[in-house]
Amino acid sequence: MTRQLFGRLAGLLGVLAALTLAVFVIKAVLPADPVRASIGARATEAQVKAKRAELGYDKPIVVQYVTFVGDVVTLDLGDSLRTRRPVTTDIGKFLPATAELALAAAVLAGIGGVGLGIVSARGGKLASITRLAMLAFASAPTFCLALLAILLFYRRLGWLPSSGRITRSLAPPERTRFVLVDTLLAGDLKAFWDAVEHLVLPALCLAIGPAVAIGRVLRGSLLDVLRQDHTRTARSKGLSRRAVLTRHALRNALGPTLSMTGLQLGLLLSGVVVVELVFAWPGLGLYTTQAIQNADFPAVIGIVLVMGTAYVVINAIVDIAQVIADPRLQTSEAR
Amino acid sequence: MSTPLTRPGATAVDSTDRSVDDATDRAAQPGGPQPVASVQDLTVTLHARDGAVRALRGVTLDIAPGEIVALVGESGSGKSVLGSSLLGLLPDSARPEVTGRVTVMGHDMVGSSDKELRRVRKHLLGAVFQDPLTSLNPPLRIGRQLVERTDGTPRALRLLTEAGVPDPERRVRQFPHQLSGGLRQRVMIAMALGGDGRLGATPDGLPADAAIDVAHDDDGAPRLVIADEPTTALDVSVQAQIVLLFDRIRREHGCAVLLVTHDLGVAASIADRIAVLYAGRICELGPAADVLARPSHPYTRALLAARLAMDGSRSVGNPLPGDPPNPMRPLPGCAFAPRCASATDACTEAAPSLDTRPDGRGVVACFHRNRDIDETVTERAPARAVVTTAAPDAPHALVLDRVSKSFPGPGSGRLRLAHLQLKVVNEVSLTVPAQGALALVGESGCGKTTTLRMAAGLSKPNAGSVAWAEGAAPPQLIFQDASTSLTPWMTVVAQVEERFRQRGVPRGERRDRAFDMLTRVGLDQRAGRARPRELSGGQRQRAVIARALASGPSLLICDEPVSALDASLVVRVLDLLEELREQLGVALMVVTHDLSAARRIAETVAVMYLGRIVEQAPADQLFAEPLHPYTRGLIAANPTTEPGRLAPTLTGEPPSLHAEIVGCPFAARCPLVVDRCRVESPALRDLPSGRQLSCHVVEPPAHGGRLS
Amino acid sequence: MAIELRLPESGVPRRWSLGRREAPRRAFHRLGRLGRIDQVGLALIVAITLLLLVVPLVAPHASLDNVGATLTPPGKGGFLLGTDEQSRDVLSRVLYGMRVTWFAAFLVIASGILIGGVVGLAAGMSGKWVDALLMRITDVFLALPGPLLALAVVSALGASLRNTLFAVMIVWWPFYARIVRGEVRSIMSRPHVEAARMGGVGRVRLATRHVLPGTIGPVLVTASLDIGALILTLAGLSFLGLGSPAPAAELGAMSARGLTYLLTKWWVPLMPALGVFLLVFVANVAGDAVRDLAEA
Repeated sequence: MTRQLFGRLAGLLGVLAALTLAVFVIKAVLPADPVRASIGARATEAQVKAKRAELGYDKPIVVQYVTFVGDVVTLDLGDSLRTRRPVTTDIGKFLPATAELALAAAVLAGIGGVGLGIVSARGGKLASITRLAMLAFASAPTFCLALLAILLFYRRLGWLPSSGRITRSLAPPERTRFVLVDTLLAGDLKAFWDAVEHLVLPALCLAIGPAVAIGRVLRGSLLDVLRQDHTRTARSKGLSRRAVLTRHALRNALGPTLSMTGLQLGLLLSGVVVVELVFAWPGLGLYTTQAIQNADFPAVIGIVLVMGTAYVVINAIVDIAQVIADPRLQTSEAR
Repeated sequence: MSTPLTRPGATAVDSTDRSVDDATDRAAQPGGPQPVASVQDLTVTLHARDGAVRALRGVTLDIAPGEIVALVGESGSGKSVLGSSLLGLLPDSARPEVTGRVTVMGHDMVGSSDKELRRVRKHLLGAVFQDPLTSLNPPLRIGRQLVERTDGTPRALRLLTEAGVPDPERRVRQFPHQLSGGLRQRVMIAMALGGDGRLGATPDGLPADAAIDVAHDDDGAPRLVIADEPTTALDVSVQAQIVLLFDRIRREHGCAVLLVTHDLGVAASIADRIAVLYAGRICELGPAADVLARPSHPYTRALLAARLAMDGSRSVGNPLPGDPPNPMRPLPGCAFAPRCASATDACTEAAPSLDTRPDGRGVVACFHRNRDIDETVTERAPARAVVTTAAPDAPHALVLDRVSKSFPGPGSGRLRLAHLQLKVVNEVSLTVPAQGALALVGESGCGKTTTLRMAAGLSKPNAGSVAWAEGAAPPQLIFQDASTSLTPWMTVVAQVEERFRQRGVPRGERRDRAFDMLTRVGLDQRAGRARPRELSGGQRQRAVIARALASGPSLLICDEPVSALDASLVVRVLDLLEELREQLGVALMVVTHDLSAARRIAETVAVMYLGRIVEQAPADQLFAEPLHPYTRGLIAANPTTEPGRLAPTLTGEPPSLHAEIVGCPFAARCPLVVDRCRVESPALRDLPSGRQLSCHVVEPPAHGGRLS
Repeated sequence: MAIELRLPESGVPRRWSLGRREAPRRAFHRLGRLGRIDQVGLALIVAITLLLLVVPLVAPHASLDNVGATLTPPGKGGFLLGTDEQSRDVLSRVLYGMRVTWFAAFLVIASGILIGGVVGLAAGMSGKWVDALLMRITDVFLALPGPLLALAVVSALGASLRNTLFAVMIVWWPFYARIVRGEVRSIMSRPHVEAARMGGVGRVRLATRHVLPGTIGPVLVTASLDIGALILTLAGLSFLGLGSPAPAAELGAMSARGLTYLLTKWWVPLMPALGVFLLVFVANVAGDAVRDLAEA
């Protein structure tokens, strides 16, 4: 098993290298001219040349790539064209808000997905309703859900706030930049509750897509397992349907569900951009939107690297979890 | 768990000295002891995408305590559906429509609540299914799956021991994929035995155990074990052991067994009574000995006649004419009428009901039961004239000369440097004469498939040589599973035509020649224009044969050509192969685990064990007088239709190679083993009369062949 | 020996569950060689395709025309879905937007099938190092976050529908390469391929007659399940401003631009969003139907 884990870790490093290569290709090969972008369209030919040399674009492509990887490893991603600050600094500033949102959504997605999967696999009226609801939710784009959520819970019912992380007057002193943690550290429960209320809608909107996807895969593999011969054996032993589902089928369905979970948690990172835009959540997503609108290419590259790394690492962790979960993937001892 | 109301011992019937006849008579007589299970006029209709399947059409059957009833039928006869009905486990997705009654110890298995059914299954019933690999849940340890049934590890360990699982403490910690097929099936049997036979009380408050009780030990045992084709996926030698295990658990625990099987031989070996099922109805039911000795339904007779036996003389089987019944369109009259030689108009108008058999033992559903129609039994097909083997100087169709094939051994993580090369095939020499027929017989893992692939040129030997007849087209392979060896989206005729195209036959002639070839194997134009999945199993097998012949080979290599076919079709396909051999002069090499099929078709039989040929002889001699202990064991393990004759001499299971073998490969299972066998590998000796044998112990008879 | 019905879920012996309904579907079979895929799901997809094709004929207005008062609520003044801030008919714009999105999705899927099909077929049929190399590359693509890379590509190339489609195509094909390669491998391991080889069938004929037809069904099932996901991705990118520039009728962008009106004139951002929902819902229902029937 150790060997397989090492294999997976080696694979992780390979994919990370590929990620930097992909980003580098986009950066270096595609016709966007970073030199022009950084010194403006009206610079003279000589100025362009000087800047080109300064930025290292006159070097051979391999050297450029090595330099780029070095920069990435040392967290030097250049300056944002819009904010004129180092991209790393900007990302460091906005990341905690996004992490808070994404973590909350991931937990909701995991719990919701497993719940939906089991309920919809059980059969009966509730299962049919759940299936239809899942189909509908799976068809709604994130921004559609977000708009509907705001119209319903903010405008009509007035239950929950529709933008920001916390009511400005309640904002706690910044320590960890995780608002929930900061409000607790400040001992301000009212502010904490306010932050939770702000978090509910964005997290929910972000979680629904992944939850439904996880639920559908779980349902599919549960039904698949229930069709197999050993289910009949379990029933012939006198086990109830529910016992077969939870004790036998769930264990089998774990594999596909886990890999779907990894995939969806990764995709959740791109959903963040949309959700943050609609809910004016001051995180990396909003930063991304602004970078796109201002053609702030270095910032986009930095974001893609950071989120891409997170995506790749999440999937690697899930992969490893799968090896641990399935005895057949481990080396079998002799008969 | 329920508290038993009746103590063991307070029993009406004592199982220990109960004879088989007692059980039979009790079940047959009204007013006998209450049966453990009772099926009354049961009809089951299942719904598939294509329509309704009339799986069972009025079945009545009682199973007495401690009795073994064999339910015999071909695929589609509804025998598995009957097993499922007794378990109360008809598949919901097929929306089963059920009429009639099914009771187990007086508990209704049709209309009861799920909870009640579960209680009955847990305490009174046990189930063993066909494929022990898929019947166990892969990611759960054996122990955990057993304990769900046995309520406690000590009992699980006891049951494993009883089911013949060695070293149970280790096995419970293993996962199903780490066990061999035979062991898995023993685990399933241990699991089936986990019921305790005691239900606290029936729903209406009456103690369920009052009427009868069979002597149980303190653990108890289920009252009825339903075994659905429990040995079909196993090797012959293991099959015999498992079949006898059922007999033993019946004796020791007094539980009744419903043995669902397609194989009359398996049924004959242990059943007290046999019920023959055809198209969802019982056509004959009676004591095993009587039904087998004096079958009175034409179908039972036909099944018996179609069976390939291994008599001293060349075995004969009478092919069963016609097509199997279609359960989607049941006939109004006797379902067997279209295939029955003695059918009259009455047979097609109404279905005959079950009535007493002519000998008074059991019942039969046939209008002509009292007419003496023995002709199908006595008038067996004449034994085919043995094709004269070509002259010795004729070119051989295939010569394997000391071929060996090795594969890397199981690469255990720590020992990767010592990469073991395991010889799956070890210096095998075989010769198929032109137009000759050779059968290569062995159990799973013996290397016969690897040998076959080398013979067909699909893989290269590591050592030795493979030679085909000079100038002839290379051999063609008939794969085991006809349905997967045909291209699913091409019509049959197109696939045959393609072979003529490869041979350079002009475009204009191809189609006609393809249809000619199909006609030769018995497929008409309609079947030729169909896609493979629209054909029946037998038709597909014919199509594969036609396609292979279209390439014009001098040798046909058949991989288990009949193992996927119903008993009634086996003989027809074997006869077809033999006919083609005569007509087209093509040689045959048949690789099979089925001794009786080898007996039927081959002139020479080679027996393989763990990569080596252990014995080779002309078929007549080999079956009349097997020499190698393994051959003898195999023949003894093959069930015959003589009741109770099964007496396997082979213990253990066919091993798979794990390490280099020192000495005789068969030594570990051999009843005649001596010290020399464990250190020195016996060479394959030539005996007089063209036989070959590899054994230190057995001495060939002095007169060079046949014993008196 | 018999293959007795092991009582599968249907409880029906295989022999009789096969091919019963073949005859009337022969023509269809020959046309597409789709195996057991039923027409229902495909019919739904075809219907919506035809409907969107004739949008210019049925839409009440052109997508850019100013047709009356600004911000008319739905149902008033003869505007079923109201008008937007520039007095354009929301219904017409949504219909045009759906049209663009739907056909864009088709284009990307077609390219995915084409590129992925070639790569997958090459990998699956050649095996050995070619397979290993191609699949390694594919795996790396699959391990990378597609939408994010597309986002980077578009921001490098500049926002336009063409660039967005190009970017999505780059990240979309590996999925199909995997599917096709998997199918090809599994078909290649079937005895019928070995049988064809033994009959002397050459590589090209083997690929076109004995292997490729078997991949069409699974690929179409995958594709029909994929349309929804792709439309969601395209709409999301468009929502972030990575699509056609301002006046064009594009669902995601319309919704994003109308965001300021959400609390007062809700139909302006919501109707395009519901348009996406409708498309994806139809695609998902069709995809599910196709898959269920293919698996049955």
